[in-house]
This record gives sequence, C-alpha cells and structure tokens, in this order.
Amino acid sequence: MASIRFDNVSKSYGDVVAVDQVSFEVPDNAFFCFFGPPLSGKSTILKLILGLETPDSGEIFFDGQPMHDVSPPDRNVAMVFQNLALFPHMTALENVRFPLVERKIDAATITARVAEVTEKLHMAHILHKPPAQLSGGERQRVAIARALVRDPVAYLMDDPISALDARLREETRVELRRMQQDMAKTLIYVTHDQEEAMSVSDQMLILDAGRVRQIGAPHDLYDAPNSTYVASMLGAPAMNMAGTAEAAGALTHAPDLDRGAKTVGIRPEHLRVAQKAGPGRVTAIEPLGATTILSVEAAGVTWKAALRGQPKHDIGAAVELSVDAGGLHCFDALGNTLPAA
Amino acid sequence: MTNASTMEPVAERPAASASTGAGLGLWLTLPAQLLVLFIALFPILMQVYISLTDWSPLDGIPWWRAHELWIGLLNYTDLMADSRFWGALWRTMFVMAVCVPVQFLLGLGLAVLFVDDFHGKRVLYSTLLVPMMVVPAVAGYMFFMLFQSGGPVNDLLSLFTSDPVRIAWLSDPDLALIAVMVADIWQWTPLMFLILLAGMISVPQDQQMAAILLGASWWRRFFTIVLPRMKSIIIIALAIRVIEIFKIFDTLFIMTGGGPGVATETISVYIYKVTQQELIWSYVAAIALAILIVLSVVSVFAIKRMQRGQGT
Amino acid sequence: MSEIVLENLGKTFGDFTALADMNLTIANGEFMALLGPSGCGKSTTMNMIAGMLRPSTGAIRFNGRDIVDVPMAKRGVGFVFQNYAIFTHMSVRENLAYGPRAQGVAAAEITKRVQAFAELLQLETMLDRPAAGLSVNILQRLAIGRSAILEPAIFLLDEPLSNVDAAFRAVMRSELKSLQGQFGQTMVYVTHDQLEAMTMADRIAVMDHGKLLQVGTPLEIYNNPADAFVARFIGAPGMNILEGTLTRHADTVSAEVAGLGSVTLSPAMQGAAALQAAREVQIGFRPEQINAADQGLTMQVTFVERIGARTIVHMEQGASLAKAVLPADVPPPVAGDAWTFAVPDDAIRLFDPVTGRALGGRTH
Repeated sequence: MASIRFDNVSKSYGDVVAVDQVSFEVPDNAFFCFFGPPLSGKSTILKLILGLETPDSGEIFFDGQPMHDVSPPDRNVAMVFQNLALFPHMTALENVRFPLVERKIDAATITARVAEVTEKLHMAHILHKPPAQLSGGERQRVAIARALVRDPVAYLMDDPISALDARLREETRVELRRMQQDMAKTLIYVTHDQEEAMSVSDQMLILDAGRVRQIGAPHDLYDAPNSTYVASMLGAPAMNMAGTAEAAGALTHAPDLDRGAKTVGIRPEHLRVAQKAGPGRVTAIEPLGATTILSVEAAGVTWKAALRGQPKHDIGAAVELSVDAGGLHCFDALGNTLPAA
Repeated sequence: MTNASTMEPVAERPAASASTGAGLGLWLTLPAQLLVLFIALFPILMQVYISLTDWSPLDGIPWWRAHELWIGLLNYTDLMADSRFWGALWRTMFVMAVCVPVQFLLGLGLAVLFVDDFHGKRVLYSTLLVPMMVVPAVAGYMFFMLFQSGGPVNDLLSLFTSDPVRIAWLSDPDLALIAVMVADIWQWTPLMFLILLAGMISVPQDQQMAAILLGASWWRRFFTIVLPRMKSIIIIALAIRVIEIFKIFDTLFIMTGGGPGVATETISVYIYKVTQQELIWSYVAAIALAILIVLSVVSVFAIKRMQRGQGT
Repeated sequence: MSEIVLENLGKTFGDFTALADMNLTIANGEFMALLGPSGCGKSTTMNMIAGMLRPSTGAIRFNGRDIVDVPMAKRGVGFVFQNYAIFTHMSVRENLAYGPRAQGVAAAEITKRVQAFAELLQLETMLDRPAAGLSVNILQRLAIGRSAILEPAIFLLDEPLSNVDAAFRAVMRSELKSLQGQFGQTMVYVTHDQLEAMTMADRIAVMDHGKLLQVGTPLEIYNNPADAFVARFIGAPGMNILEGTLTRHADTVSAEVAGLGSVTLSPAMQGAAALQAAREVQIGFRPEQINAADQGLTMQVTFVERIGARTIVHMEQGASLAKAVLPADVPPPVAGDAWTFAVPDDAIRLFDPVTGRALGGRTH
C-alpha cells in the first residue's frame, strides 16, 4: 500500500521531452488512470515509477520517501505487461507461484498466499491449465494473479485488456475494478480507451505531449473539462465544438452562451433536436437501439446529437437545435474553459 | 494531437542510454570486450605478422621471433606474379559462377514445388535433404566411384549410345572440373532449397491471396510478390554458397586431388599443397589474407544489399 | 452491382461443422454485416463467397448464377483483409495499379484510373510514398482503393477494424461507411463487434456455432431478437436474461422471477397462444429500459460504473445477474444497496429456456 507522488518530474530523450514538469499524487489504494494519445508520455511515466528510468529533474516519492536511489526490485512495484508475458511452459498455478518461488519464500506461505489470491480471482478451475489452453480473459487473470501474489505496494498495468474483444473488455474492466477494491491496493493503469478509463478509475490524469492537462474523478473531467483538449478526449461521440458565431446561428435556445468565448462545446447528449422548421438539416441517422446518433448540419457545422431511444427522424428534414440547461461549455482563444457566467 | 517533437521513445531505447550509468557500463564490460576482440582478431593479426616474414616451421625459431626473417611485402609481390595462385583463384571463381546459379535455380524450383502440399511430400522432402547430411569426404568417395571410366555415370550414358561410353572423367583435364561441379551441386542444392523454402513459406499468405483476387497470374505473383519479399533471404542464401565455394576442398580433393595437373586446383587445394607439401607458411599466410580480403568485400556487398532489401 | 444468394450453404472440416444450412439473400448495393463471436462461421461464409474455400454443400449465386466452380480471381470480388494485406514492398501507386496491370489494362488507362482513385480517396499527395509505414486509416483507404479500382460488384471486408485503437475506430467507421456510399457496391462485412454492425450495416446476419440465428435491420434485431443469444449479443451491455415462470391470475399472465418479483406482459403477449399455460421461460429486457420504481423487481446493486453520459448499474440476486443503464442525470443507486426497478410491459421479451428461441411473437 502506497501513495505515489511526482514532484515536478521531467524526462527527455535527446531533444525529445517525453515528460515535462509533471506533478501529481496517486492516493493510497486508488485506481489511478493515465490517459492520453499515443506518445503523450504514459509509458515513460510508468517506467519512471518502476525505476527503469531516472528523472532528469524532479523527484518521485512513495509514501513520502524519495525513490531516486531505490533500485527497481526494491521499489516492490508489480507490472502487468500488455502482452501479459506468461510462461508458456508452466501451468496457470506455476505461473502464479513463480514470483514467490523465486524469492525463496517457504512453501506453506506460498501455498496460503496463492490460495488467497486465486480464490479472490475465481480461478480455481483454470489453475492446472497452461496458458495456451486459456481464453484471453483467463490469461489476463493469471497475469494479474501473478502480480498480486507478490503483495507489492502498487500495481502498474499497461493497456492490459486491449487485446480482448469488445464484449469481453466490458466484462473484464468491471472485474478489474472489483478486484482492485477487494485487494485494496494502489493500481496505476494506462489505456487508450476512454470508456474503459472512465469506467475503472477513481482518478484520471489526462496527458498531452508530456504535460498534465487535468487530474480528477472521471465524471468531473467529463462534466467540467478545463480545456477543449480534455473535453474532446472523453465521450463518444466526442463533444461538438464550434465557433461562438456558428453556435449562436445554429442554436435556437442557448441562454448560457458567452459571447466572449472563442469556442463553444456541447456534448451530444445535451443537444435537443426539435422537429420543426429551423436552421438545422438532418444529414445522417445512426440508430444504435438504446440511443440514436443524429448528424445535423447547421450554420456550416455538423452537430452530433445523441438521442435516447429510437425517435423517428428523416434525412434531409429541417430541425431546430437547442441545448439543455448547463450543457454549454465555453472556451477562450487558448482552448481553456471560461468560468460559468 | 501530438507532433514529432513530442515523440515518446518507448522500448527501443535502452534504459540507461541517456543517464550517467552508460559510461560505467562501458568501463565494467571493457575487459571482457577486449578479450573477445583479442580472441577474434588474434589469428588474423598473427597471419598478418607471419605474412611479412620468410618464416617456416623448419627454420627452428619460434613464430614470435619470425620478425628476424622480416621480408616486408615480398610475399605479396610474389603472390601477384604467382600464375598458379591466379589460376586457382580463377578456377574457384568459375566453379562459383557455375554452381551458385545452378544451385539457386534448382533450389528455387524445388522450393516452388514444396511450398504447396502434395501427396508424399514428407518422404520426398526428407530424401532431398540427404545429400546435405552426407559427410563431404564420403560424398567425395561416392563421386570418385561414380565417375570412374567403368563407373555408373558412363554406364548410364552407354544406354543412349551404340558403343559403350568409356570417358575418363577424372583424369581428363577438361572434364574433371565438370565432375567436381556436379558433386558440389548434388551436395549443396538441398541447402539452397531449404533456405529458399523457409523464405517462401514466410511470404504472407494474405498478400498472395490479395494478388490472386486482383487477378494476378501465378507468374506475376511470383515475380511481384514472392521474389521481392524473399530478397533478403535470397541474398543470405547466395552469400552462404559463395563463401562456401571459396572454401571448396574435401569432396574435390578426394575425387581428383586437384589434378590432373592443376586442372581442378582451387584456392583451398593450392593453399593445402603449399602448406603441407612445400611448407612455405609465411607465403600461405599471405594467400590467406588475400582471400580474406576478397571474401570480406563480397560479404560487405551482400550485407549492404540485404539492408536495402529490408528497407522496403 | 450484384445480388448474392446463399442457398443451404454448409462447410465441414473433417468432423467439425463450421457452417450448416445457411440461407441468406444479400440485395444489390446492400451493406450486410455477418456478426458473431469467433468460431461462429462468419469468416467461413465470407471465404466461401470469395472463393478461398469450397462449400461442402449448397450453392452461392451472384445475380442468379451459381459461382461455386468459378475460380476466385474470376468472381469479381474485392476483398479487404483483416490486416489489409497491403504490398508493403511497393509504393502506394504500385499498389493501386496492381490489379489493372494484372488484368492487362492499357498503361494510359491505368494512369488515368490510379489518378482518379487517388483523388477520390485523398491519396494524391502520397502516391509515390512506400506503402510501408503508412498510418492505419491510410492503409484502410488504400486497401479499399486497390480493390475498388477494378470495380468489383461485391466487396468483402474481414474485420478490418479489429487492429485499430479504440479511439480511432469511430473515425474509421464513418470513413468506411462514406466510402461505401461513394462506390455503391454490395458489401459483406464480417465483425464480432456489434457496435460496428449496428452503426454501418443496412442489415445484420447474427451467427453462432455455424448457424444463422437472425437477419434484419439493426433496429429489428435490437428490438425483437429472435433468440436469447442474439438478445445478449446485441447492445452494450446486452439484454438482461433472467430465468422465470409464467403464472396466470384471472385474465393476466405475468412472469415471475424467483426471489426478485414479477413483471406483467404486454397486451399483445397476453394473447399469444404459446404463453397461455404455466411454463418455464427466460425473461429478457434491455438495461436501458429499466426505471427506478416502488415495485417491480428488486436486486442487490454490486457495482456502479459511470461512463460519461450514462451509468451502468450491475446487479445480482441469487443466481440472477442484471444490468441497468441510466442517463448521467439520473442519480444512480449505491453499490451494496437493494434496488427496486420496473420494466415497462412492452419492453419484456420471452425466450424458450431450452431452444433459446423468442416466444410470443413480435411486439413492435
């Protein structure tokens, strides 16, 4: 159990600044997620935590202790790799036992510890099988169990479920989250999938080119992004973005519209579409069952509206757009969020 | 989004590269690295040293005092004028120019046959690899026997002629080299086949499927997809055989002993004779170095081509 | 343009039946998705249409003509592979020109066509770049362009988005859909991702274990799944399915889930002949059609996932598992609490617990 703190940490490779004056604190027992596009610094931060890289400047603390001179094994941080790195010639059980056997812990302790972890992960039925005979989700569990038995102070997971198919990912992410809560451990997580990130984490840190853009609970970042960057990273379909003049032209009712804003953002689910003569024209309809995604062209901008259920609309029909109260996000010329008027 | 200057180098970069640890690592491994370098280079350096002297084991002085017999570049100037050396070199080149293309084409043809499944493939495959596993000396005796004037090769030819054929393959200066080349092709085509087959199998199946669906004929696929994608492996296969043929010795020596006269005397046979029969060791060192230089040039050329091949 | 008819199509590999008795008509210009988990027979079907596999039984007709004996190169089928199978040792231009060259099209005509397609696909600026190292959306465009340049009547796509990052898939989906609009070919799209099928396809054929379970528009399949498997497979999360019994009190039939409560059936279902007698059933309802209520079904909340615009509530009671999806502005229940919710009667679907087939006819 540990809190992990970065204090103004930077790391460059030659001319390339991978991590740029990053500060944050991962609270004890938190599920903490790094999120950002490829090459935004996520992997470098993981390596800095593991001790595989040394910061050029700044300091990393575990529970307040500086880690600069602590070697990777002594940091006692477990890592679950993207490709899982299971040993193919060992059974699931042998894979799970491996880290303890390597540390020359006595047999009784090993057995007890392995039993505790494998029971928590509901994997008794797969223990005797080699990885080749396991499904993607089961292999995942073996890899996680192998990390768990070491009783490390924190776990790092680098996109651990991206190889699974969509349905299995939905199940596994919930399982991961429940597992982390059961084990009461700090878990640091990296993913490319915004839905997965929002689903699992207590806190998210949004990275942009090696810099921290925003840190907070997923729903806070979603509801109150501090910039157009954060706003567009979360949500599918993404937040609608338009110039203030275009928004004023497209929206029939928008009381919160700040005329001083440069850019206006509206989440698709906050856009209302009324079937009456208005400046909008329906250009595409995507019925997903639970929701219907409508593309509406108005004032030269294509707006996406996520409507609940399966309302009837016709392509080419004229519509009126409006925004739910509190659904408008206003940004300045630099893309930073303006305080609510 | 990100731009080029925010690239995050991931796994390619060794962990310690930019840190102060890099220098320490070099110092710690330096003794071991020097030792490896010494072991690799010592025989060659010794050759260079000996080749600049007139030393021979019969002179009764140890090799490290060979500088007492220093003759500078005399061995090399002798070599330039040594017609027997040049003859052997050109003969070796000739064998290479005939055998490598023949082995390549035969190997490629066999690879094409074996890349698809057919009945009896496994048995035939194992049979084809047998020549490669025969000890070269044994192969030498086999072909020595086959090419006797009363041997099976002539018997076979006699089936097509009215008079019995009694060609003296191994004692005719014009024919001995042919017999030697046949033996080399027999023994080493399987290796070429094996390497090319491995290369051919690794050409992605879906690329070939895509080409078929785009209407490409077998020949077009072979020349536009299969061969270009095998470029690196083809260069490796050719380089291996070129280098090996430079060293051609055992089979040949048993079949003809380099004769009749010098009709089948290749570089290796010549070196052997100079070493064992004439005991001019310093001269041999000079020949060996000359060959090493030629081979190095060939390998560098092959590696360069290979890297260009991989770039695509 | 071409209509594809699969007639009693089947394929066995030794003892293993990969596909059995498949009947499907794909209309001219239609975007048909073959959807199912791995091993369901969707790729086998596609490979038989392309000609890479020979059917064990049945016929495949293009515009009425049986093409089982036509070699794959002559079927006029464009194929986009899972990893695109771009010729990476060639330039973008050589990739585009490969098909026309192989078919002996005149050089001047090839130049013209390559130019036209490069413009259409916005590849003009990179025509002479090597195809190796292009980004994945460019590779997708190139793979489609390389086939489209031969103007095939039919396009087959084999899970083209499965290697693409989650964040990028939405972009690729809309790009693919608009390309299909431009070319207007009949498209058969194989995928295991119900979202891809729902967003792009005109109709979806859902398959499992070598069998075609249902064919219909995305909404038909979503609203009236013909089978419990289809019900669970479509939607994110899929339909909740609970084991229950039908009971009759006076004139109303209701479905009861042991330990949870009961739900009333819609008037249309009340009348259905199959549902008159008391029997075991599977009760299905979509997570997003659940509302908090004073009475209805009660379950224990185990986990609450807030994902942007919606909240997924995971529930458990005995052996029964269910999920509810609530809009973000509705306060969700708390994990650990018991939660009572109601399901509108027209949202209830019933399935046979043995065969999995839908009971009681269609509601919408």
